Formats: sequence, structure tokens, C-alpha cells
Amino acid sequence: METQYKLTYFNGRGLAEPIRLLFAYAKVEYEDVRIEKPQWPSMKPTTPFGKLPILEFDGKKVGQSVAICRYLGKKWNLTGKDDWDSLQCDVLVDTLGDLKQQVGQYRMEQDPAIKEEKKQNLIKETIPFYLQKLEQIVKENDDYLVGGQLTWADFQYAASLENFELIFGKEALDQYPHLKALKERVFELPGIKEWVAKRPVTEF
Amino acid sequence: MAGETGDGNKHIETNSAMSPKYKLTYFDLRGLAEPLRFLLAYGDIEYEDSRFTFEQWPEMKKSMPFGKVPVLEVDGQALHQSMAMTRYFAKQLKLTGDDDWEAMLCDIMVDTMNDFRMQVTGYYYEPNEETKEKKKEVLFNETMPFYLERLDEEVKKNDGHFVKGKLTWADLAIVAMIDFMEDQLQTKFTDNYSNLKAIKEKVLDLPQIKAWVERRPKTNY
Repeated sequence: METQYKLTYFNGRGLAEPIRLLFAYAKVEYEDVRIEKPQWPSMKPTTPFGKLPILEFDGKKVGQSVAICRYLGKKWNLTGKDDWDSLQCDVLVDTLGDLKQQVGQYRMEQDPAIKEEKKQNLIKETIPFYLQKLEQIVKENDDYLVGGQLTWADFQYAASLENFELIFGKEALDQYPHLKALKERVFELPGIKEWVAKRPVTEF
Repeated sequence: MAGETGDGNKHIETNSAMSPKYKLTYFDLRGLAEPLRFLLAYGDIEYEDSRFTFEQWPEMKKSMPFGKVPVLEVDGQALHQSMAMTRYFAKQLKLTGDDDWEAMLCDIMVDTMNDFRMQVTGYYYEPNEETKEKKKEVLFNETMPFYLERLDEEVKKNDGHFVKGKLTWADLAIVAMIDFMEDQLQTKFTDNYSNLKAIKEKVLDLPQIKAWVERRPKTNY
């Protein structure tokens, strides 16, 4: 019997989008539930650890988007050719996580002066620091992240690079042609292309 | 040089004369390196436990892959990202549960503990005294009870472990984090949560872990 999947998140791409991209690529059906902010307080206690996204299947409910992506990645043969490749996927996704955390801290900053300072720091130092190194890795892997082949890490990066362009401008990736190529290749994949054409257009 | 075994284990041959040379580099702290040190101790895997001072850090930082530690060199090749590395060794030591589902449950527990740990670290390193006081209130009155109750419940419903009644890397990594976080907060916060207290004691009583804890450098956290 086919597994029924139900993904619940806010109405946005955010932490859920890499999961949605994986489902689209694997061409596996799932219920894409998006809640409005006012629904969250009453839903929160029903989640395992008070956070979204959650994925429900086979009578179980799990959170932690990266753990879910790794699980689905394994299921759909997107973890590279061996344990070492799987490790590299994990290393690079967690590295992206560190960068996202810094960008998140800038976005959440309330004080306008501090926020501008954080933005400048990001644009001048942090982002180039990370993207230059990541660009080199992708260049060495034929415009993939790991092992010269498509892995679940590429979906995480594609989702983040898309957000990156929305925050910092369409030209922001121009100086990183291999990262840009990786993003474009993922979004051109069969299944993903169709998903992007029909998914809700949201701010985040 | 470790040979290919065709199953992804080419970088670990724990009982062979050709074992890779491991060198772990971190601050002289438990912190994010300790879950990995627990796994290496549990697996009797030899490694050079290299520690540097805060004064040495600005210079050391330049030679790290992404300017962060811990870094593990495997025959000269540098790995980073503590949880990725810890999971890799867990896999080699068969501590990721019995199947992909249980492996995910391990990941979920460790990631959840990490979310909790980041709140504690955010408070611990807050430079502004006033903000720190406010953070302390939220941490002790809301965040800690929220996580500790749920983590305690997980151990209870999983027969004394974090995943499915058996030892996994989730137990080792989480107890390593509890161990240093209790020192950061100067509070044995697991004392009031009997299931967490029990798994903490169970892990610290494992012979290899006990021996490691006895011989490791004594640090603030």
C-alpha cells in the first residue's frame, strides 16, 4: 500500500521547501498543508517539539527538516555512492546551516543601525567567505555539491540560493557561476520544474 | 593508507595495522567536540586530541576549512561540522539504530538537543548584562522546562534510551551535551528529570566512556 505523506508548515518556502523539492523530484504525492499564523498557537502543542515543519506518515509525526531530508534522500537514492559521500552531504548541509543562521540573525535584528551593520558585514565578509569556498567545491564536482552527482544536499542549496537572490538581488550570484549553475540545474529537473510553476508564490 | 572495502568504510579500519591517522582539533573544552570524543572513546578509536588556547585561535582559524572547529583530519584530509562527523562514526560503529527510520529518529533527537543547546549557548555568551538577565529568565522559566520535559518523555517511552530502547549515538551525543551544558549553567538540570538522569548515568557508566571521562582534561565546559 502506498504511504500517505502529509507535510505541515507555514505558508512559505522556508525550511519546508527542500522537502517539497525532494517530493517533486521523486514524483511522490503528499499533502502540502500550509497554516496561517493565527492557527499556530493552538497547533504548536500538538507538534513533537513545538516547531514546524512536521511530516506525518504511517501514523507517525516527525519534525526537524534536515533529518527528514536526509531520510527521504536515502529513500530516493540521493546520498551519493558510499558513507563518505553521505558524510560530505551532511557536512555541506550543516555548513549551509551555519551561513543561514547568520543571515537569519541579520533578518531578525530589530535595531535598524545594528541591522545595517550586520547587513554590511554579511555582504562584505561572511557571504563571500562562504560562497567562494562553496563555489570551489561545486566547481570540483561538475556543478554538484558531492561526488559529481545529484544528492539531497543540492536541493537544500537550490532552495537557499533562490532565497539568497530574493534577499540580495538577482545579480548576487553572478560572481559565483558554478553555484548559479547548480541552482539552475536543480530548478530545471523534471518534477521540480512543474512544481515551481504551480507552487504558491510567497514572500519567504 | 586505508584500503577500499567497497562498502564506504574505506576510511575506517579500526583493527587493522593500516588504521587512518586521526587528529581532532578544538579549543581546550568539551563543547561541540565532546559528542565526537564520546563516539571515538566508545569505539576505541585512537586519535590525537589536539587542543589550542583562545590566544591561538585567530591564527588557527585561518587554516580551518570554514574557519570553525572542531576539525578532524583523516590522513591529512580535513573534515568539519561536529554532528556530521559524529554521525559518520556512529554509522561505522553501528550506533544508528536498525534501519533508516531509526537512523532518522537518532538525527531528530540530536538536532532537537542542538536547538536546546543553542539557546543555552546564546545565553552563556551574551555580552550585555541586562540582556543576559532577561535571557536567563526565559531560559530557566520557559525554554529549559519545555525541552527537558519532552526529552525526558522520549527516554521514558523508549525504555530508557532516546531511540527504541537501544543504545544509539543519540544517547552518547546528547549525554555529552548535557554534561557540558550543566557546567555552563552551573546547574544539574537533569536531577529533576528521572529518565534523563538515568540515561546520563547509564552512558557515563559505560566502561569506555567512564575511562575517557576520568582521563580527559578538566575544563570549564
